[in-house]
Amino acid sequence: MYAPLLANRYLTSRIIPLIAVGAVALCVALVIIVVSVMTGFLDMVRNSGKTLMGDVVVNYPISGIPYYEELVKEIEALPEAAAASPVVETLGLLRMPYGPTETTQVPGEPGRSAQTVRGRIEFVHVWGIEPESFDRVAGYYDRLYWQKPEEPVASDLATDDPRLDPYYQREAQGRTLRSTRNRDGVVLGIEISQFNERRRDGSYRTPGPNGMQDPDYFMGDNSVTLTLVPISSNAKLGEDQSREFDIVNEVQTGVYSIDSKRVLAPIAAVQEMLKLDAAPLADPRQRDENGRPKIIGTTPPRATSILVRAEDGVSAEVLQQAVTEAYASFSARLRADPTRTLLPPPINAVGIETWEQSLAEIIGPVEKERELMRTLFSIIYIVCAALVLAIFWAIVQEKTRDIGILRAVGASRIGILWIFLRYGLLIGIVGSLVGVLLAWLIVRRLNDIHELIGMPASTTVKVVAWVLVVIALKMLVRGLRRASALQTVCWAFATAALGVIAYRLLWYEGYTVWDPAVYYFTRVPSEVDWDTVQTTVLGGVLFSVIGAAVPAARAADTDPVQSLRYE
Amino acid sequence: MKPLLEAHGVKKTYRLGQTSVPVLHEASLSVNEGEWVAIVGSSGSGKSTLLHLLGGLDRADKDSGPISFAGEDLRRFSPARENLYRNRDVGFVFQFYHLLPELTVLENAMLPSLVGLSRLAWLTGRRSELRDRASELLDTCGLGHRLKHRPAELSGGERQRVAIARALINRPKVLLADEPTGNLDVRTGGGILDLLAERQAEGLTMLMVTHDQSVAARAHRQVKIVDGRVA
Repeated sequence: MYAPLLANRYLTSRIIPLIAVGAVALCVALVIIVVSVMTGFLDMVRNSGKTLMGDVVVNYPISGIPYYEELVKEIEALPEAAAASPVVETLGLLRMPYGPTETTQVPGEPGRSAQTVRGRIEFVHVWGIEPESFDRVAGYYDRLYWQKPEEPVASDLATDDPRLDPYYQREAQGRTLRSTRNRDGVVLGIEISQFNERRRDGSYRTPGPNGMQDPDYFMGDNSVTLTLVPISSNAKLGEDQSREFDIVNEVQTGVYSIDSKRVLAPIAAVQEMLKLDAAPLADPRQRDENGRPKIIGTTPPRATSILVRAEDGVSAEVLQQAVTEAYASFSARLRADPTRTLLPPPINAVGIETWEQSLAEIIGPVEKERELMRTLFSIIYIVCAALVLAIFWAIVQEKTRDIGILRAVGASRIGILWIFLRYGLLIGIVGSLVGVLLAWLIVRRLNDIHELIGMPASTTVKVVAWVLVVIALKMLVRGLRRASALQTVCWAFATAALGVIAYRLLWYEGYTVWDPAVYYFTRVPSEVDWDTVQTTVLGGVLFSVIGAAVPAARAADTDPVQSLRYE
Repeated sequence: MKPLLEAHGVKKTYRLGQTSVPVLHEASLSVNEGEWVAIVGSSGSGKSTLLHLLGGLDRADKDSGPISFAGEDLRRFSPARENLYRNRDVGFVFQFYHLLPELTVLENAMLPSLVGLSRLAWLTGRRSELRDRASELLDTCGLGHRLKHRPAELSGGERQRVAIARALINRPKVLLADEPTGNLDVRTGGGILDLLAERQAEGLTMLMVTHDQSVAARAHRQVKIVDGRVA
């Protein structure tokens, strides 16, 4: 029972094992931090992606699904589904209320303009929605950026914040997609307008020409022109349709690729522009009294997607199955009905995907990247084992005499082996726990750290840095005077390192590591992934023991006489 | 009187690379129970090697004669019995004390008893019994006030006293001392010898390697080793 005593004493009374503990702690912390951030990032991609699309999507692009109101009702009647909402999805061009003015001259008549076009053109992804049902499926109202604060207090908001205006109507307009002028409104992704400046906390300011916060400069009475091109079911392009919409609000999902492209408009308006609305159906073979093709009925409006949200506790896969069956019966029934003017596509023609399948191209690479990181950083375990091995080799070398003494007083080889294995185990456990603590502290404070790195250094920091340089320099001079090589070398390094840091800080302007435009999100994920913690701690401990095993076996083989012979 | 420790024609050769260096040539020795024997000889004569072989720290050549303890042949010992022999039957005192620097005086003295202690005995509280015995023993060695100190805080003489307490903690039948005063001044060395003599007078068998004639003179009998042979 001497092994625990010695292992504990070796750990607590020397510096070398503390270096080993530090090495293990750093390895463990590094793996946990990297994998936690990646996992958090993946979760953010999943959650945000899911927020604006529900759990399952029924898709039939271009010509759309007719009689979708009936389908929505049937899906909503499913016990697995909580809500369903139709969407008409297309690509379009958006002429912004700002930007360059282009003038075309009349040939031969200098100075006389033929046409003046003003505004910057954005290429956008248009969704025609029914706001009320879209909110039930995708939490749309919560994603509207311009909302009236519950208690609009000037101290929380800038004094020029438009939300302090008692006549502030943005939220209501966003919810109905109608402007105060009673015209159709559009809600733009928050990143579309070039006037929106993202603040560090993820909120936006919209400076007007005078630099003050002035959303009216961009939105207000401004309108945008949306241009869409209807496409027929046989892929022929129709005549482009342009229409003016008032800007009523903006939407923020946190996913940059959505926020910079998505435009939400009333479904009826988009259907009209894309010729997917209800229209009279003419038969060219029959003529009416005026000699025109005879109107024989009406075609129903169509929607290109149906978004479905699952009931609580129902998985997307289960819902997908239920929706597939519901669609199959809907399609079969309508296709057999001779009174229908348009037939819904058969089940094998529509795509019914879960949100994960729809977002596979965003989620897939992130997942792969995380696994790659996990694998690459697992190499750290080997580094950890090598470090422990090197340190233990030195410890065993140094402890040869102790081993001889222990053998002389009757300790067995197994006993000696066990001391050093136990020692490795202790280093692994203590190092891993310190590493977890370190990782936890860093991950939790990641956004603060990131913010700190992003800011120019304050005068206090600069002064402190230079004071440290002066102190280090003083110690270096003292080391030189005493002719101590150790002191001189250590303080020379310290002076050089601190000097470089202090010098760099003088001109440091801040550096944004986590660029929201690259990573989609405004915040660095800051949740520790506890599954990773478990495996990493296990790995840290295991590899520390592996690292300790070879030197421990060498210690067990030490010849007591040899080790005791000389002092 | 019955011999407690016996060696008959013991041979030991060390290998230094390609060359063999014979250290002991058929050395024979017999130590009776309760006897104090001094092994004397010049440096490199093989006296320490003989002591190591008698204490089970080293193994003699294959063609060597037997070494026996209380009639048991050491060559026939299993590794476990060999460990037990070093732990219970003999106690070692070295010239350079060989204390563990991380342990306190008390823990150093307790070390052999901890090595021999089973997990069960540890759990059933034998540890405190051993602690009491170690502090009592240290007290008789004049170190009662130094129990919590580390070896680095002690003088040479004090360190050797701790080493003696450690050698005696498991009440061995034989004490094997390799130049126990070799690193001490005459006065301190004398004190150590007095301590050992006291113990020996209580019935401890003692085998002491020394090249100091005045130290050897205090033993009951001197055995001289010249070139690996008992002269």
